[in-house]
Amino acid sequence: MSVTFQSIRFGAVEIQPQDVIEFPFGLIGLGGLRYALIDRNPGTGFLWLHSVDDPALALPVVSPHQFFAGYRLQIAAEDSERTGIDDLSRATLYVTVRATPDPLDITANLRAPLVICDGLGYQVINTNEDAPLQAPLFALPTRHKIAS
Amino acid sequence: MLILTRRPGERVVIGDEVLVTVMSVSGHTVRLGIAAPPGVPIYREEIWLAVKEENRAAAAASTDALPSAPPNTPAAEQAPTAGVRPAPADEQVPSEEHPADP
Repeated sequence: MSVTFQSIRFGAVEIQPQDVIEFPFGLIGLGGLRYALIDRNPGTGFLWLHSVDDPALALPVVSPHQFFAGYRLQIAAEDSERTGIDDLSRATLYVTVRATPDPLDITANLRAPLVICDGLGYQVINTNEDAPLQAPLFALPTRHKIAS
Repeated sequence: MLILTRRPGERVVIGDEVLVTVMSVSGHTVRLGIAAPPGVPIYREEIWLAVKEENRAAAAASTDALPSAPPNTPAAEQAPTAGVRPAPADEQVPSEEHPADP
């Protein structure tokens, strides 16, 4: 018994009920209580976190570990309490992506990752200092920078 | 906007469950202690605004602004204008090419 929701980007999207991720507090400044991760760019690492209830609400996300070796997440005690996630290693992390026509301008928000665990999702603040709001996803090798 | 004058040690109660305590005042710095139920997220305004802006910018993405093809040529072999594909999960690129700092 699958669930179908509408998307202005992708039309009708069919998912399994267990694919629905509940965000009890929504996303910061955006809201949205129920989302699903859908893969419309297979093999690229980009997924869409798509609202199940709002056809227009969707954000591209990536796994931070895939693009940023050594990415570390630290959250405040209040966030641990709020999310009920005491063991972050059990959770799956994603970061939102600012998409741009030029791939070199695409950035990821390492400061406010999405923590997903057991069908529940939370956007938390990374207290680690090495977590910028706009981290370039792709960097050119140095020699290209010099050559241009 | 409600404006109240409080001294260090005094509190403001918002609803029945949010308690804001003025911990100390020193020059232009005020330290606040906030007690709220776990269901009430608390942010510094500047980080809340910045994350909100990033979320909105991300949500404005059109489908064609993302790479649509799986990774092929290693990034180092491509011309700068050709676009750079992400490395697959099992083949992470060295961290110096993907700095975590801006």
